[in-house]
Amino acid sequence: MARMKFLCDADRCIECNACVTACKNEHEVPWGINRRRVVTINDGKPGERSVSMACMHCTDAPCASVCPVNCFYTTADAVVLHSKDLCIGCGYCFYACPFGAPQYPKTANFGSRGKMDKCTYCAGGPEVDGSQAELDKYGRNRLAEGKLPLCAEMCSTKALLAGDGDIIAQIYSQRVAKRGYGSGAWGWKVAYKETISL
Amino acid sequence: MSTTKDEKRETVDPARRNFLRAGLVGASAAAVGTGAGVAQAQASESDSEKKKARYKETDHVKKYYATNRY
Repeated sequence: MARMKFLCDADRCIECNACVTACKNEHEVPWGINRRRVVTINDGKPGERSVSMACMHCTDAPCASVCPVNCFYTTADAVVLHSKDLCIGCGYCFYACPFGAPQYPKTANFGSRGKMDKCTYCAGGPEVDGSQAELDKYGRNRLAEGKLPLCAEMCSTKALLAGDGDIIAQIYSQRVAKRGYGSGAWGWKVAYKETISL
Repeated sequence: MSTTKDEKRETVDPARRNFLRAGLVGASAAAVGTGAGVAQAQASESDSEKKKARYKETDHVKKYYATNRY
């Protein structure tokens, strides 16, 4: 069984934020919520790296472990989804997640911050596939349409990979074998005239 | 003047508003129909159905993998 994974090739990400924009547009994500974000480390310094981050759809997800109403479930594709009908907006998953994936539409205290929203791997939710209710609550269900998450599909530098974990791992290892990694990449020293250890 | 008004009232055919009643019945029937449709569409999937694998290696997905190998 294929396990769905995201993999961001930090050597290719140019921090264009198109994945963030595409996600917001595709799923009509409410104001104040970004299901995907681009994190840049060492910004403006040699060795700067950008990584596109969203829900990592963990195996044994900590959000699911702490949820008091058990609204999370993992599909056979290893995609972690949740039910907004069951969510009480307690915020435990927000504290448990190491990636900051769960977010809330309102800035308020316990119970009044609204239903949690997070990346669905473009796989919708517990409503019937392709229904209006699913679209309104969770956004599009591209996986059921035979497609992959839009953020990865439209990445201009092909930095963000999505799909069967075995296949994208193979694609990434082929890239690394061809170009080298980080400062070991062909042309790095010519371009930057320095050695950067990672 | 008032006499004329009363006369007019008497001459009005009470059946003239039947088409409105028919319209109302039709509209409410349509609303019930739509409501039932929405209820059906909003129904959640069963536990096994919501956890089923949705990923399929379609031509679209294969093309995506191929373009990422460049």
